[in-house]
Amino acid sequence: MTVKECYALIGADYDNVLSRLRTDERITKFLLKVADDKSFELLCESLKTKNMPEAFRAAHTIKGVCMNLSLTKLYASAERLTEALRGREEFGDDIPPLFEQLKADYESTVNGIRMLQ
Amino acid sequence: MNNVKAKILIVDDSELNRALLSDMLAADFDILEAENGVEAMDILHEHELEISLMLLDIVMPVMDGFEVLSVMNQKEWIKSIPVIMISAETGGAYIDRAYDLGAIDYISRPFDERTVKHRVMSNFMLTIKQKEMSELLSSQIYEKEKDNSLMIEILSHIVEFRNGESGLHVLHVHAITQMLLERLVKKTNKYELSTKDIRLISNASALHDIGKISIPSEILNKPGRFTPDEYEIMKKHTVEGAKMLSDIPFRKNESLIRVGYQICRWHHERYDGKGYPDGLKGDDIPIAAQVVAMADVYDALTSERVYKPPYTPDVAIKMILNGECGAFSPLLLECLTDIAESLKTELNVMSFGHATDNVIHDTVKQMLKSDGADASNRSIQLLERERTKYQYLLDISREIVFEYNSVPEFIKLSELGAESLGIPMKIIEPANNKVWTRMFAKEDFEHFVAKIKETTPENPVLSEEYLLTINRDKKWCKVIAKAIWGDGELPEFEGAVGKIVDINEEFAAMQSLEQKADCDSRTGLFNHNAAKRRISAILSENKGKNKRYALTMFDLDNFKEANDVYGHIFGDEVLEELARRIKASTRSTDIAARMGGDEFILFMEYKDTVEPQIKRIFKNLTEPFKDFDVGVSMGVACVENYDGDYDTLFTMADAAMYTVKRDNKNSYRFYDDTMKSLLRSDE
Repeated sequence: MTVKECYALIGADYDNVLSRLRTDERITKFLLKVADDKSFELLCESLKTKNMPEAFRAAHTIKGVCMNLSLTKLYASAERLTEALRGREEFGDDIPPLFEQLKADYESTVNGIRMLQ
Repeated sequence: MNNVKAKILIVDDSELNRALLSDMLAADFDILEAENGVEAMDILHEHELEISLMLLDIVMPVMDGFEVLSVMNQKEWIKSIPVIMISAETGGAYIDRAYDLGAIDYISRPFDERTVKHRVMSNFMLTIKQKEMSELLSSQIYEKEKDNSLMIEILSHIVEFRNGESGLHVLHVHAITQMLLERLVKKTNKYELSTKDIRLISNASALHDIGKISIPSEILNKPGRFTPDEYEIMKKHTVEGAKMLSDIPFRKNESLIRVGYQICRWHHERYDGKGYPDGLKGDDIPIAAQVVAMADVYDALTSERVYKPPYTPDVAIKMILNGECGAFSPLLLECLTDIAESLKTELNVMSFGHATDNVIHDTVKQMLKSDGADASNRSIQLLERERTKYQYLLDISREIVFEYNSVPEFIKLSELGAESLGIPMKIIEPANNKVWTRMFAKEDFEHFVAKIKETTPENPVLSEEYLLTINRDKKWCKVIAKAIWGDGELPEFEGAVGKIVDINEEFAAMQSLEQKADCDSRTGLFNHNAAKRRISAILSENKGKNKRYALTMFDLDNFKEANDVYGHIFGDEVLEELARRIKASTRSTDIAARMGGDEFILFMEYKDTVEPQIKRIFKNLTEPFKDFDVGVSMGVACVENYDGDYDTLFTMADAAMYTVKRDNKNSYRFYDDTMKSLLRSDE
């Protein structure tokens, strides 16, 4: 599978990322890092223990990474969760659905990336 | 640029983001990475001078980007290290705040390779240009200042050589003036002296005696006393010097001329109004002239002259304080006393070229500082070299060496130090760090920090002893440290360097020595001095409290016989046996001592009555030992609510014992008023 096909599969913007990062090689290198990144686990853990500032930072990091790699779909759900968590001190009912959405997008994205290996 | 790549520090909590940026920039720069603000602070602390640019994320754990910027402002790193913010935060307020805190540019996510490279490169080049410009500027200022000082010095030396003096006087007066003024501005802002004013007055101080050029050399260099007429002529050098300056055409408004005029004309005025030429009084005398007058007198006293030997600095200061040489404002006298110690060392190391050079370097440094430019490359290299040396010495040192940094608060230990303490090399916020406080108790450490902050730049060394827990063992350690103070006009505490020395053995040895010194070697009881010290302490501590004490004194009735009949070895055995009996019949809170020979004392507190106790002790003591009948004469002084001293109590017990001896021996008696006539005092 080419990088371009992978991007189409996971709902990401290949043209945009190529214009910024310049080569397929570099894009692949960092995509693989996304699959290994611990931020998602940190997010799950922080939400479980209701550590809101930590959860915000983890969501924020995922959002930043997606932005850099133009992972459009995952970026959108990460952004919604990040904004819901910004400045939050209490856990609320609005968070689980946003998290579930992010989780689904994250899994499909990582699965897509793994197919590049 | 040379082959060595410039260093860039990337601060971002996401490893992936750091890798991405690093990937884009690695071809042109050396990359250092930090994953939060505190790590960044640590790297800056260590590599401040090598870092050419910093990329800084905003949202991070532990210490965020804004906090990093605040500390960089506090430490003035922001002046020399350009910071480019990176973040997905595109809110205007965030950007504004970063700019306000001194960030020079802003790159928003997602990163675009061309944008990142371009922004970093152009900001980097801009900073390099700025540095080059400021170096150029600084060398120009250096040259100009050098010429200026040189001219003033040549002029002043002409006067001095004519005066038969070494020429060091000008340099000394310059240094003393500067030190006095620097001290003065710390004490008061009454005179509104800026750093620039201090420099100006110090420079102009060289002109104080130029008027002497107009005094005939027979008078100027006369070894003996002046006649009244000669003295009048001599006094004219003040007015003449001032006139020479005011006669310079078109330059009357130059500040050097203005201050020089004040100094020349009025450096022989006195604070009490009895000086010359104008009899000005108090603060009517310009502060420049007051300070130079004091510097002039101090140096004259401490230097050799045709008419006098040099006085020591201490004597000179005493003479000035006593008003034997001139009269000065109380504030200036305080300043002089304050700088007395540093004056000794400062003037000692002074020689010609070196002094001038120092002065110029200082001047350039000050000018650059006030203009906000950076240090020159040359001094950076010097600093680098010093740090390499320091690091090496630290690495090979067997001692526990530490560095304490105040903001942000952390401790850094030498490698071997950390190893022998069994803790990491870097401890952030030590007072709240369990690893650290397990070793160095929190209240002890806070005590240390408070103490080191109480030191002064003049007196920055501290030595304290603490009981530390090192690898689970409690050990007495000495913590010796030197506080690091900033070099601004109002120095701020920055941190400290020091070492931790294990003095446990030393401490134990001291304790055992102390114990030995307090004990009688034959019996293991206290000696008289030690007992007296302890009893006196108890008496004075409990003064006014309703307590009852008994002091018992006794000796052996037939000790001489024991020695004569059974020999000295047996005599010693009797003493040892007696000590054993005393120990067996007293409590640990009682104080028992052998005064010497066969005399003993016993001090105890009691509740209702002491007689049964005394009776029991007496009975125990007088049991026969081997074939020897032990006889004891014992006097007891009892006091209640006592406010006298030990010696009085002692003479009372002594009188009671004397009564027993006189009457029937081998018995005990309590002191009562009938024995008053027997009281004898040792004096």
